[in-house]
Amino acid sequence: MPPIIRMVNLTKKFGEFTAVDHLNLEVEEGEILGLLGPNGAGKTTTLLMLTTVIKPTEGTAFVGPYDVGQEPDKARTLIGMAFQEPKLLWVDSPWDILNWHAKVCGLSAEERKKKVRWVLEQVELWNDRLKSVHAFSGGMRKRVEIAKILIQRPKIAIVDEPTAQIDIVGKHRIWNMLRELRDEGSTILLATNELYEADVLSDRVAIMHKGKLLVCDEPKKLKDSIPGGDVVEIALEKDITTAALAKLKEIPRVVNVLTIKQNQLKIYLNQAEEVLPKITEFFMKERLQVKSIRMSEPSLDDVFAHYTGLTIEEAQRE
Amino acid sequence: MISLKKVWTVAERDIRMFLRYKFLLIMRAIWFVSQIALFGLVVNRMFRPDVQSAVGGNYFNYYAAGIIITMLYSTTVFIGYDIYEEADHGVIEYLLSVPVSRKELVLGRSIGGGLRSFLYVGPMMLFVLYLIGVSNVLQLFAALLSLFLFTFGVAGFSITLAVSIKSSDRFDILMGVIDALIVRLSTTLYPIAYMPSPYQGIASINPLTFAADLFRWGAGLESAALVPPMLAVLSIVVFFSMFTFFGIFLHERKLEGGGWQ
Ligand SMILES: Nc1ncnc2c1ncn2[C@@H]1O[C@H](COP(=O)(O)OP(=O)(O)O)[C@@H](O)[C@H]1O
Ligand SMILES: [Mg+2]
Repeated sequence: MPPIIRMVNLTKKFGEFTAVDHLNLEVEEGEILGLLGPNGAGKTTTLLMLTTVIKPTEGTAFVGPYDVGQEPDKARTLIGMAFQEPKLLWVDSPWDILNWHAKVCGLSAEERKKKVRWVLEQVELWNDRLKSVHAFSGGMRKRVEIAKILIQRPKIAIVDEPTAQIDIVGKHRIWNMLRELRDEGSTILLATNELYEADVLSDRVAIMHKGKLLVCDEPKKLKDSIPGGDVVEIALEKDITTAALAKLKEIPRVVNVLTIKQNQLKIYLNQAEEVLPKITEFFMKERLQVKSIRMSEPSLDDVFAHYTGLTIEEAQRE
Repeated sequence: MISLKKVWTVAERDIRMFLRYKFLLIMRAIWFVSQIALFGLVVNRMFRPDVQSAVGGNYFNYYAAGIIITMLYSTTVFIGYDIYEEADHGVIEYLLSVPVSRKELVLGRSIGGGLRSFLYVGPMMLFVLYLIGVSNVLQLFAALLSLFLFTFGVAGFSITLAVSIKSSDRFDILMGVIDALIVRLSTTLYPIAYMPSPYQGIASINPLTFAADLFRWGAGLESAALVPPMLAVLSIVVFFSMFTFFGIFLHERKLEGGGWQ
């Protein structure tokens, strides 16, 4: 089956600044593709180009068979988007917003009657359906936004940080609703800066940084692919010197060392059981007392770090 | 292909949104009453018979019909302000993302923006028609149809300006100035015969002149309407088409979400 979304050198510049930089990425029909990256990576800009809200500076994207530049009206018939910042007029009520959205997406009056109620119950806003969103919390507004695609059930659902500002119970509910949507046959393109969300929800994850695609694969394959399959996090009593750090990297089978702080290291290595004693011995010789050692499986953060030398949190701060 | 259902869905939303102007709507109604009951009545008494005959026999009727057109105009341009409000909340991006073509969006908004003002001004219009006393229902009907089109044109004009100016303060100031000029350089408040000739030139191509003359013609004040009705209708069609075209052009070629403001 041909991919349902195909981005070809998709690029967006704002003045001199390149927000999305020659992106080549394909989304397969029926999958949840997680677009993972720190704030400012260019995720939202990418999604807005796919929904034809903004125009590419260079390159293009195909949504189904339609080129977003040539046939934007047709491309939009396949797509539904839940925006990162809820797009709601403050005087509007959830009922009006969703009823109108369903109508403009072609649902009949009869269908709307049932489905608007259903979706408002799903996102737990039925009791507040007639209030104006003016008085709503961030999380409530976000749920109104998500409800748009839940009622629309588009062929391609584009969701931009769907669970930001939502509590953990709410997050799980929304994840389940998105999985249901996928299981019904929709394709989901999800932008997120939350590692856990990308990991548990996505069939494949595409990692973005500074407008560029770093890598795209199944979360497990991504994690397995980075050299240094074991991760050891070590906290030290005092800061490590540059010289000691260089020596640490020399130890056989140590693949990479990331300094989270000067006294907090993340060591990527192979065959941890054998190497770990050597590492503790090394710290003793360097008179660096170890406060704690923790072994973990690599996460998507480690994948990100492998490509950028930064954790997502660090990249976020940049 | 344009789907009328989509166009109507867009229009309907703008009509619903109109209700949030409650305060403004009440104030505008008071403004209307004071224009008619105070200004119109008093000024009418000032005019000698020769002036009265130049406006078709009764300045009060002439003026009341003109005020309806200024009301229609100034209520219809609200749609431009809506666009800024929506830009503030990102709703423009939402509207650009729904399965509606830009043509349907612009047409729907023009129709919604025009129709809602027509519905609002409707009762006042009926009141004025009652004061004047309608003689030819068919003529009135033809005039009202053209006025529908006039409001759609004004809405398209306001939308076009709103998306090309991109700063709500400037838009607000500009609209105030345009309002002052477009009303005063037309036959809404006084007949063309009394204007200095450069003003006459502008007034004779001003859509408000066509709308006002057409309304007077429809209300049976034929002798007060200078522009022949067919020409007025035609001009309104041109006005409407021009701004609908500009609106669509801007939406298709220029308008983007994101850095809109
Ligand atoms: N309309 C705009 N004008 C100028 N710069 C923008 C605009 N939209 C986004 N950017 C910039 O582009 C970069 C990518 O933004 P965005 O796509 O929102 O990233 P993400 O969604 O991954 O956080 C950011 O540095 C942002 O400041
Ligand atoms: Mg974003």
